[in-house]
Amino acid sequence: MRKLDGSFVLLVTLIVVLLATGGLLSGGTYLSLFNLQSMANQVPEIGLLAIGVMLAMSAGNGGIDLSGIAMANLAGVASGLVALQIFPVSEAPVAFTILFVLGCAVVGLIGGTINGLIISRLGITPILCTLGTQMLFTGVTVVLSSGRAVRIGAPGPLYELGNGYFLGIPWSFLLFILVATALGIVLRYTPYGIKLMMTGANQKAAEFSGFARARIITTTYALSGLLAGLSGAIIAARNVNVKWDYGTTYLLIAILIAVMAGVKPEGGYGRVVNVVLSAIALQLISSLLNFIGLSNFVRDLAWGAMLLFFLFVNRFALVEHFADILSSGRPPRASKT
Amino acid sequence: MKQGLKKTSLFAAAVVSAMGMVSTAALADDAKSITTVVKISGIPWFDRMETGVTKFAEANPDMAIMQVGPSTADSAQQLQIINDLVAKGTDALAVVPMDPEIIEGILKRAMDRGTIVVTHEADNQKNTMVDVEAFDNAYYGASMNARLVECMGGEGKWTTFVGSLGSRTHMQWVGAGEENAAQNAGMELVDPNNESFDDANLVYEKTKELLRKHPDLKGFQSSAGNDVLGIGRAVEEAGLAGKVCVVGTGLPNPSAAYLDSGAITAIGFWDPQKAGMAMNSVAKTLLEGGEITDGMDLGVEGYEKVTVKPGPGDGLLVFGNGMVLADKDTYKDYLF
Repeated sequence: MRKLDGSFVLLVTLIVVLLATGGLLSGGTYLSLFNLQSMANQVPEIGLLAIGVMLAMSAGNGGIDLSGIAMANLAGVASGLVALQIFPVSEAPVAFTILFVLGCAVVGLIGGTINGLIISRLGITPILCTLGTQMLFTGVTVVLSSGRAVRIGAPGPLYELGNGYFLGIPWSFLLFILVATALGIVLRYTPYGIKLMMTGANQKAAEFSGFARARIITTTYALSGLLAGLSGAIIAARNVNVKWDYGTTYLLIAILIAVMAGVKPEGGYGRVVNVVLSAIALQLISSLLNFIGLSNFVRDLAWGAMLLFFLFVNRFALVEHFADILSSGRPPRASKT
Repeated sequence: MKQGLKKTSLFAAAVVSAMGMVSTAALADDAKSITTVVKISGIPWFDRMETGVTKFAEANPDMAIMQVGPSTADSAQQLQIINDLVAKGTDALAVVPMDPEIIEGILKRAMDRGTIVVTHEADNQKNTMVDVEAFDNAYYGASMNARLVECMGGEGKWTTFVGSLGSRTHMQWVGAGEENAAQNAGMELVDPNNESFDDANLVYEKTKELLRKHPDLKGFQSSAGNDVLGIGRAVEEAGLAGKVCVVGTGLPNPSAAYLDSGAITAIGFWDPQKAGMAMNSVAKTLLEGGEITDGMDLGVEGYEKVTVKPGPGDGLLVFGNGMVLADKDTYKDYLF
């Protein structure tokens, strides 16, 4: 049997508790289709950034990506400005949307690759490198947009991506789940994924085993950039406008989500599914507090308390211990198999 | 089975304790609700606004009225709050947008869903029913300048500060000021439109420079909230308090010392308390199916006879007469 994943159990429990609490307290409004959709719509942009942070953390050696939201804003602004030049939004909405989303992905990929190359080839600490590129990306975005919001507009397909539904599920959320699933498979079953975690767990051993460390790290940060680019596309689709200072708080929230998901900050371990659940849990909490009408400062407090709680539980593997105690208390014939 | 039971009881316990934490908060409620969403909570300006929202709530006990706002200045956080409020089914939203462009999408969805949307400080907001502004920008700029001209005795060199050349309202204010000053032949504008970036230190340095360049400079009209503080400090240090006239946008509490010493002649502002009440008043009228018409009385001081114009979108722009020009003798009425 596979080892029990404590973070997974904890996050699922938390989500169920939050949904039940919200439903009870709001007399059902919290569980209404409209609110579930509204919450699902808010998760992808931050969720994608959090997966990026997870990838960077897994690579070890103090890996982190601070440039995520700056990258997302740059992708939206740069790709938007280019696409607006090429296609008139009103005449060619489909072509515009495709070009815009692809453009966001490409900008993200390039930015991420720059991060990866600086970290792997120049040997700069990730936190310093991405702090630098974060400011660089923000600066470029300000210059490109002259500090103003760039109106992407709401051509049919793009608006649909940001605000539309497929079988009642927001498109952006489906895209998020799709991307997360694909990444989860890549991390678990491909040589790249396995080597990434091993490099993160023990860099020296990985190097002596002949892993192409530089390439693995560059790929990882490039992926993180790509995710940020997609996040930028979703932000633009949802808000119609993009601006350089959007989501300055996302930087820390993305890290919070990753750590709550049990990603090891020292590298070598992280599961995409947990990051997805963690992003959902955080959204449920903040929406619940907004529903009750509590101050936003209470939300910060709740998030902080949760982060410490999860760190504590994961550090001492409390859920696994608890499960062990329970199963050892069972009759012997049940535990034999 | 045993394990299952334990889990269930644990879960139930968690739910109960979570409910206990928030049991005081009434959620499902038949009363009409108006929620004011500010740019950021916990700063003096919006704390002052909250006193107005509270006053309005006391005057309307049959309605659920409150104010919320993000804990950090980030348009994404404000967007989330509005998203959740719309999903919750709040009847009316009174929003002071951090960034009008970013929330266009959600405000449109809110209105599509039947939510009443009122905004403030966002005369470029397209998706709103009514945008309430404390005053007409031209009137504000001209009034400040009139006070300056009066202090200068109608003659002498004067200059202007703006937050940045890209700041639309600031340019409107000084533009109207220049027009007003032009009526007096003796008023001579020198080196206008200095950019302050709302940085009191920068303004302090620039003011010293300007005073060196034009020793006979007699007047300053400034726009961003911190400008008067920088000018006031430079004027005071140069020993010119009371000799040079300084009129600009500012808040009573921070400016108090300079007003007392005479380094600042007068400060112009609008009272966020009244603006908060005015927004809620408009929202209430709309909730009751009423209309906002030119010249109507919102029942709030400074908004007794509002001017209504078409807004940039389908909505209306409502201007009050909520400007306050406070000097040494009157600022104590508005301590915030």
